[in-house]
Parts: sequence; C-alpha cells; structure tokens
Amino acid sequence: MLIGTTAFQGLAVSEMAALGVTGLPLVVVDHPLGGERPDAIARRAHQAVEQIMSLIGRT
Amino acid sequence: MSTPARPHAKGNASLDAPHLSSTTLGDPEHTAAATNNPATITLDDDPQAVLAEFCARQWCDGLPIVPPTEERVRAMLSGADRDASLGAMPPLWRQATLEKLAVNAVMAGCEPAYFPVIVAAVKAMLDPAFNLYGVQATTHPVAPLLIVNGRYAQTIGLHSGSGCFGPGFRANATIGRAIRLILLNVGGAWPGHHDMATQGSPAKYSYCIAEREDASPWGPLRDGDVVTVFGGEPPHNVNDHVSTTAGGILVTIADTAVSLGSNVGWYFSQSQLLIVLGPEHAQTIAADGLSRADVQRFVFEHARLPLGTLKLGGMWGIHDWPAWMKAITDDDAQLPQVPSPDDVFVMVAGGPGKHSAVVPNCTFSRAVSRPITV
Repeated sequence: MLIGTTAFQGLAVSEMAALGVTGLPLVVVDHPLGGERPDAIARRAHQAVEQIMSLIGRT
Repeated sequence: MSTPARPHAKGNASLDAPHLSSTTLGDPEHTAAATNNPATITLDDDPQAVLAEFCARQWCDGLPIVPPTEERVRAMLSGADRDASLGAMPPLWRQATLEKLAVNAVMAGCEPAYFPVIVAAVKAMLDPAFNLYGVQATTHPVAPLLIVNGRYAQTIGLHSGSGCFGPGFRANATIGRAIRLILLNVGGAWPGHHDMATQGSPAKYSYCIAEREDASPWGPLRDGDVVTVFGGEPPHNVNDHVSTTAGGILVTIADTAVSLGSNVGWYFSQSQLLIVLGPEHAQTIAADGLSRADVQRFVFEHARLPLGTLKLGGMWGIHDWPAWMKAITDDDAQLPQVPSPDDVFVMVAGGPGKHSAVVPNCTFSRAVSRPITV
C-alpha cells in the first residue's frame, strides 16, 4: 500500500510502474500536508482511514 | 517536420539520422509522439525545426540543442562500449548506458573530451549516499553541483576564475547542461511530473565549476582528477568588503550559511555546507594562520541558530534531530546546523573581489566523489 497526497499521485503511479508494482493499492489524501492546521490534518487522516479500511475489506 | 520513420535530409543536411530512441530519451507518458517513438527520427535541417521537435517531445531543457546524429554520438563515445550501463537512474529507473549519456552530451554541446567528466559525475550521482531519487523528485530546488579537481579540468578548459558559476565558459556550461539533460531524459525527472520542485532554480540548467587550485592556500578539495557532486541550492552570496581578519570574514560566512528557511539543520544527519571562498577571502583567512580544518571548525561552531528562533517556523515540529538536541530546552542555546566540521566543505574559486559563496545542501543527500578515468 502506498499513501500520498493528490499532488504526488502522478509521481506515485509512475514510480510504481517503473518498479513493476502497478498493482500496489494507492491511498490518496488531499494536498498539502505541510502547513495545515490540526483540523485539516484530521480530515486527511479520516480520508486515509476510510480508503485503507475499504482496501482491506472492512467498513 | 515530425516524421518518425524514414530519413529525408535536405540538401547538405546532417540530420539524416538523429540517434534517438524512446528508451534513450524522453518519457513516452509525456511526449507528443507517445504512441510512436522510433529508434531514429528525421527532421528538416533547420535549427528552429529541431528545437521545436525536441521541445514538443520534452527531450530538452528549452534551449537549442546540437542534434545527436549517429556520427556525433559515436565521436562522443570515443570507442567506449555504448551498451555498458552505469546503473538505473531514478525516478523512472531507466538504465544509464554510455550511449544515452553520449546522446545527451552531444545535445548539450559538449566536446568528446568532456565525456569522462560526465561519466564520473553520473557514477557519483548513482552512489546510494547521494540519494538521487530524493534529489530528483523533491519539492526543494536542489541541483547537483559538479566540482571538478585536477589537471584534466584545466586541459578541457573548465573555468574556475571570475564568474565561474557562469555564464561564458563552454566546458562549464555544457557539462552542467549535459548532466541536467541526462537527469531529465534518462532519469525522467520532468518538472511537475517526476521532478516535483515547487519553483526549481536556475542552477537546474547547468551547475559545474572547477576549483582555483592555484589560489587555494590549502591545496585542492580533492587530490587528482576527481568530480564531486554536491546536492545544493544555488550559491548564496557572501559580501564582506570590510573584514581584514579571518574571524571577520568567517563570521559573515557563518551568518550567511544558516537561516530559518534553509533545509540545512532540520534533517540533521545529512546536512552539509559547501563554502566556496573567493581567492581574496581565502588569502585573508590563511594569512591569519588558519588551515582548512580550522575553517571547517569555525563554520561548524558559528553557523548556528538559537532554539528559540528555530521554534518560529521552517520545519519546526517535523524536524529530525538526534536525542541530545531534542533534549535541549534553553531557547538561547545555539544549535549546530551540520553534524560535524567534516560536513563543511571548503574550496576556492572565483576572481578578484570580496565575495564568496555558501551552497547549502538539500539535507537528504551527501556529497560523493569519483575519479575521472580518461
């Protein structure tokens, strides 16, 4: 599983292809992370948790 | 103009077989001819047409190139094994074969005599300690600065005197440019896609100097024909027209070397500083009896920021410090920004004048040196 922000999604996809792991699950949260206040970071954490739970088959 | 199949050079055109392949140059994901990348392309013998085509394919840096014909690439290789690879180059992990390096060196305008410097620099960049993936993909404006020592640098005309960071000197300009083209075309670090630099920097066009070994009071940074790659920001100027002592000049240098906005210091273990002393500053420092090691120690001891200042911004809270630094609570404590005096590199370059430069590194890459094999 690879976790990143929207701005780096393209890099992540290219990197997975270059390394031959295109099937790796990708979890994407809103950009940016740096310079954000705690409530905004909490929203991103929830975004990540929801996607991760879905990917591992739990809701 | 863009005919990716058969040659149709006009008149005395020399562009009948530009030696390019989709695996050698460009990223098919982002090229105009993504669905049909041939081993060779054919273009009209027109500089503007060539530039337009290479720009459209994202195979160059936006500046005019020398078309890499088979003949020119062969001359650049000078008999070297074109299929030999120096390793996989990030971020897209394509093989850095000598042929691909030669194609980009031709495009940059290099003479074949420059090629050994390029090969040595690529070997250095592919050393894991340099962390080329980080250098290529980061949001920081880092570029590999090539520092060339030894007699071979003089032989090929690498400039170390007035205005050494540019412009005006073919060897410096084209070797540095070849490195950038290799990073773009072989590594695949296209801005905004795989090179995520927020703003980039002019140093990403070309960044190559030689040392003024004749003006160094302490001998060369590295002995013999050697290339050092340093993952640095563009040079930060150090203007000191008044100091007549080593202490005065070095305080000014130390003050220039650190700031809240620098990467240096936050990722402590790999923070490094390069001090490029102008010859006049170097002579003033040496006249007070300081050795190179003394200069390194001085900068290490004085290029510091108080804890209270570091708490104001920068990367406070997401920094990576050793336990002994995390344990400090006194806001007035002056904290070092590099791990040791050995992480301060001292060299001499430039011409007359009271200026030097500091090049902070990106802090996730360590300087690496490799010998030049001719």
